[in-house]
Amino acid sequence: MAKEIKKKDIIIIGAGMAGLTAALYAGRMNLSVLVLENALVGGQIANATGIENYPGHKVIAGGDLIATVQQQAESFGAEVDEFDPIERVDLTKSPKIVETEGCIYEADVVIIASGMNRRKLPLPEEAKYAGRGVHYCELCDGHMYQDKVIAVMGGGNAAVDAANFLTKYASKLLLIHRSQLKADTVSQERLKKNEKATICLNTEIESLHGDGKLETVTVIDKTTGQEQEVAVDGIFVNIGVIPNTELFKGQVEMDENGRIIAGEDCRTNLPGVFAAGDVRVKEIRQLTTAAADGTTAALLAEQYLSRMRQE
Amino acid sequence: MVKVYSITTCPWCEKVKKYLKSKNVEFEEHNIELSEEDREECYKISGDLIVPVTTVNGKDFVVSFDKAKLDALLGL
Repeated sequence: MAKEIKKKDIIIIGAGMAGLTAALYAGRMNLSVLVLENALVGGQIANATGIENYPGHKVIAGGDLIATVQQQAESFGAEVDEFDPIERVDLTKSPKIVETEGCIYEADVVIIASGMNRRKLPLPEEAKYAGRGVHYCELCDGHMYQDKVIAVMGGGNAAVDAANFLTKYASKLLLIHRSQLKADTVSQERLKKNEKATICLNTEIESLHGDGKLETVTVIDKTTGQEQEVAVDGIFVNIGVIPNTELFKGQVEMDENGRIIAGEDCRTNLPGVFAAGDVRVKEIRQLTTAAADGTTAALLAEQYLSRMRQE
Repeated sequence: MVKVYSITTCPWCEKVKKYLKSKNVEFEEHNIELSEEDREECYKISGDLIVPVTTVNGKDFVVSFDKAKLDALLGL
């Protein structure tokens, strides 16, 4: 059966902070807006346990914050669909085409706010232990490690925040990072004060071992070259993110890392295609800058649509 | 009978439950934080230390949110 063709003013790809802020603004401007999300509404912050640097909230769980933004956007008529995965896009023509499993959407504007995905542990044993000692969702799987030894890999905010959260389950927590910590001082200090936590810097995990599930890891101290086998029940991997831009390759200009090239105005090389949030080449990636990008993209998208329809 | 093994604060668990509700699929929720028995059962079913796990008729199961597998298993 042929797929139904539906028309929208704006399709937003990605329901993180940038995408939902764009939806909120576009909805308030009476544009027909659909937000499509292939993974989790909220993107990376869906897993954030306590956000302390989003203005207006002393501390808020990522899921609660994004649920409110989604409700705001929907109250102005924006639709959010997280169960109809995108199969292909054609952004080079007008109207733009976004084909999902269930529909073919035509839109005059597409805002790409597809964010980043967590980088997988780059070891050959990763697949063997995925879900059996190697994890990527602290909120989902942390509970499985009650009174166990947990390691967190990484040194940025996400890693240190994950480590702080997981101390509530762990008997002992190791934060393992190949260089120096880059996380906020507040988060670092909180972890350093926790008696369960040990921070291992200039250290890398070389290999994983265990019969059916993870039991030990071999770590190497990069300063001394000394190797050591350490008993670890679970590793939570927070070693950075990669842009979620596979769908747009060959159409939208990207840098060598796969991030979309767009300036502060969020305009890409293609007319009517904007990039907002972490997916865009920029220096600072924060929730606040994602919200700012969503705002900019929606307002300039509305200008673009008005001009196009006057011509 | 469809069962969803989950925990309270898990975004993927929420997504699975929301999807089943959107398709009018009735399910029993088993929160493994609240029941040691459910926790053991969940681990026994998948062999993974991971939630959500969705089971159909106590044998076939889907780990995390996998729409294609859920659809196939539930005949959606």
